[in-house]
Amino acid sequence: MSAAFKGRREDRRLVTGAGRYTADWNQSGQLYAAFLRSDRAHAEIVSIDTKAASAHPGVAGIFTAEDTKAAGLVFPPPFLPFPGKGGQPIKVPAHGILASGRVRYVGEEIAMVVAATAAAAQDAVEKIEIEYQDLPAVSDVEDALKPGAAQIHAEIPGNVSLVYEYGNEAKVNEAMAKAAHVTRIKLYSARLVSNPMEPKGCLAVYDAAKDVWDFWSSTQGITMMSGSLATHGIAPEKARIHAQDVGGGFGTRGGAYPEYLVVMLAAKKLGKPVKWVATRSETFVSDHHGRAIRLSGALALDKEGNFLAFRLDWTCDLGAYPAGAGPFINTITPMLTPTGVYKTPAVYGLHHLVVTNTTPIAPYRGAGRPDGAYLIERLVDEAAREMKIDRLELRRRNFIAKDAFPYETPTMVPYDSGDYATLLEKALQKTDWAGFEKRRAESKSRGKLRGIGLASFIEPAGAALAPKDQTLLKFGSSGNLVLHSVTGPTGQGHETVMPEIVGRELGVDPELITLSTGDPDGPPLIGGGTAGSRSMSSHGAASLMAAREVIKKGLELAAKDLEVAVADIEFKDGKYSVKGTDKSIGIIQLAKKQSSTAGSHPMDAGGEVPAAGTFPSGVHVAEVEIDPDTGVTSVLRYLTMDDCGTVINHTLLEGQMHGGIMQGAGQVFGEECQYDRASGQLLTGSFMDYYMPRAGLIRDLQVYDHPVPSPTNPLGVKGAGEAGTTGSLPTFMNAVVDALRPIGIHHIDMPITPSKMWHAIRAAAK
Amino acid sequence: MARIEMTVNGKKVSHDVEDRTLLADFLRDELGLTGTHIGCDTSQCGCCTVHVDGVAVKSCTMLVGQANGADILTIEGMAKGDKLHPVQQAFTECHALQCGFCTPGMIMAVAGLLKDNPSPNDDEIIHGLEGNLCRCTGYINIIKAVKHAAAAMK
Repeated sequence: MSAAFKGRREDRRLVTGAGRYTADWNQSGQLYAAFLRSDRAHAEIVSIDTKAASAHPGVAGIFTAEDTKAAGLVFPPPFLPFPGKGGQPIKVPAHGILASGRVRYVGEEIAMVVAATAAAAQDAVEKIEIEYQDLPAVSDVEDALKPGAAQIHAEIPGNVSLVYEYGNEAKVNEAMAKAAHVTRIKLYSARLVSNPMEPKGCLAVYDAAKDVWDFWSSTQGITMMSGSLATHGIAPEKARIHAQDVGGGFGTRGGAYPEYLVVMLAAKKLGKPVKWVATRSETFVSDHHGRAIRLSGALALDKEGNFLAFRLDWTCDLGAYPAGAGPFINTITPMLTPTGVYKTPAVYGLHHLVVTNTTPIAPYRGAGRPDGAYLIERLVDEAAREMKIDRLELRRRNFIAKDAFPYETPTMVPYDSGDYATLLEKALQKTDWAGFEKRRAESKSRGKLRGIGLASFIEPAGAALAPKDQTLLKFGSSGNLVLHSVTGPTGQGHETVMPEIVGRELGVDPELITLSTGDPDGPPLIGGGTAGSRSMSSHGAASLMAAREVIKKGLELAAKDLEVAVADIEFKDGKYSVKGTDKSIGIIQLAKKQSSTAGSHPMDAGGEVPAAGTFPSGVHVAEVEIDPDTGVTSVLRYLTMDDCGTVINHTLLEGQMHGGIMQGAGQVFGEECQYDRASGQLLTGSFMDYYMPRAGLIRDLQVYDHPVPSPTNPLGVKGAGEAGTTGSLPTFMNAVVDALRPIGIHHIDMPITPSKMWHAIRAAAK
Repeated sequence: MARIEMTVNGKKVSHDVEDRTLLADFLRDELGLTGTHIGCDTSQCGCCTVHVDGVAVKSCTMLVGQANGADILTIEGMAKGDKLHPVQQAFTECHALQCGFCTPGMIMAVAGLLKDNPSPNDDEIIHGLEGNLCRCTGYINIIKAVKHAAAAMK
């Protein structure tokens, strides 16, 4: 933690209970919505009878697929601007906002009741009579791909929505054939539930005179939300998006959920505000899930251990409907860093995206990055073992050199900057890697299995959600500044760090600057929200540019004020000075002297930067200890040496790392969203059944930086939001496998629950 | 319907409520004290933790009728004017919150923990936080904040 850290600007309201999340907004006369959801995985809807529900006291309206269809609302096709193998576009089913004719996963929205109270709405939902005719369900990709498997959509024969390839198959086959050694591995990255602590919800108010909605919801940015609503059938100018505090995003709050559209429709039809807040049980079935990927890979090496080629095969579960960025994160994202931090001449990836009778899959912290890093880094550790080359030495031999940038991957993606070898050496120094065998022996003397592992990983960051990102700095009457941005913070501390960027550039106290986001009356700005580890390299860099523009605009005014030529003025430490004299004027003082008209101040200025891809990297090291008697694995230590580019605020960066690593630890140690394979019923539908990491899972966590500035943006920053998760899956699992090697185990799948571990150890002893 | 009376953050309140009303919903919907958050429906997450007669309680587990006559303290009653409670101060200084949704419940749970045990060791802190989920911080800085608050309150 930075010594100077005294808390964030947003903290005061959040620690006093004055934060305002979606459920905290109310409108007078508001009605409440509740949803009827499918209780089965796959069935024809024979009939829906809403008569009894309509007669329930307090019910104001019931909405079904007929209503949403009539209103022109659609379930949009997923975002995927590229075709798959052989130029084949992704196969997408026709689908509405509410289920019509057929349900395809447990939790799918069928109807919405609006009533005077939330309880009345829920009671009435239970009075809707629905008759189903069950169909065979497939809740697992392996089952969905079997010949004769139940077909989920007529438009997706064989349940394969997309086959995607990248790299050069022929070159990879050639490399594999002449290789001295080929290491192969199969892994599973389980289906996860994102579980932001705030359940999703929304509040819609319709103004009939203007034909405009005011809309409150948890979101990762107002342009992301309005863009998403537009794809569903509500034009951006029709929806005024409000957001203040958002209780976690992690990718799952990027767009509109079907429920939001029905709530908006109801507000319009009923002429009253309508509010809906999901229960946690509803978020478990209806928030988009993450991961759910079967990974297999092969690494070809020559006899010295030089990497020749990677072959990567992903079978990705899309859930029942290809949705949002679900297909994107399972294709383009892993294509961007397919060979990790290693110079490798050839790569070929082949990804199958499959539909199943489960909740749709979309980005969840890392969104394809942790899975890719997990596959590559497990392959490298296994190759080292099989070739009897030290795992550090094998990495050192293959690292992309620090003078090789911009480095182009075999998929023609330019890495911005990096110094992977130094990251490794610095991490090793901090962890006493060399002294590990002594510690292993000490654990062994207590009957425990100790392991150490690392990953040297890279990930793509700075998702190009918009061609460019803009900010606007406007002066207020007291010499204060408002920084307008369409960033969508969900806990990252933007209200603190964005003004710090501007304050440093202007040489003024950041407290004078207030960040404004989520304001429907704010200036129209081009830009994406907060996703894909992009906010610092986009909104942050654009804030810096706006500050530079303000300084430029002040030059002439300062020259006039100081009665000299512009060429004689220099700006430094918050002051315009006449070169070679002690005459000067502070930038705020200068701003205060100007008169602003119609809300416009002569020193107001905008800034913008083009979309920039950055490639954060890092070396993480974990030390774990397994108790073979109980199967419990303890984390003894976790250390990071990260290159997230230039560090603006170390404490906030550290916070991102802590959270990211813990979400990775969740997947390693227990998180797994499970469906009953035969019925497609969700077995892990509450916090009682779904593992969530709790306090103490990691006790000793140290975050270090070795920044290599990125040339892609004026701040020199790289992404940081997902690096913790990306690094932690392979790091933990390499440590766990290292602990198990002495008893002959070289593979175990996540999550390593005590039960799974105990059985694996018992089986190995036989 | 039932008539209930209680003291909330030092003020007497009395309301007619539906029998099935939970304390959490009463605080939020009837009294407008929206700092008490609802994060789950199985009493696992702890976002709704308040103090009932000085004891940290998950307010979603209690019918408001069960709190009749009780003295309730919510997150809104923790600071004294501009002065934050030491636990609020420690969470701020230790960067023990990110999105802030779990934070009010976390702070009420920690205040309860420190009342019972003013000098908890790491194991006791971790045990004390078992009933509160946070998805953002990894708990690293929350544990730090508990120690920080314990020291400040001595």
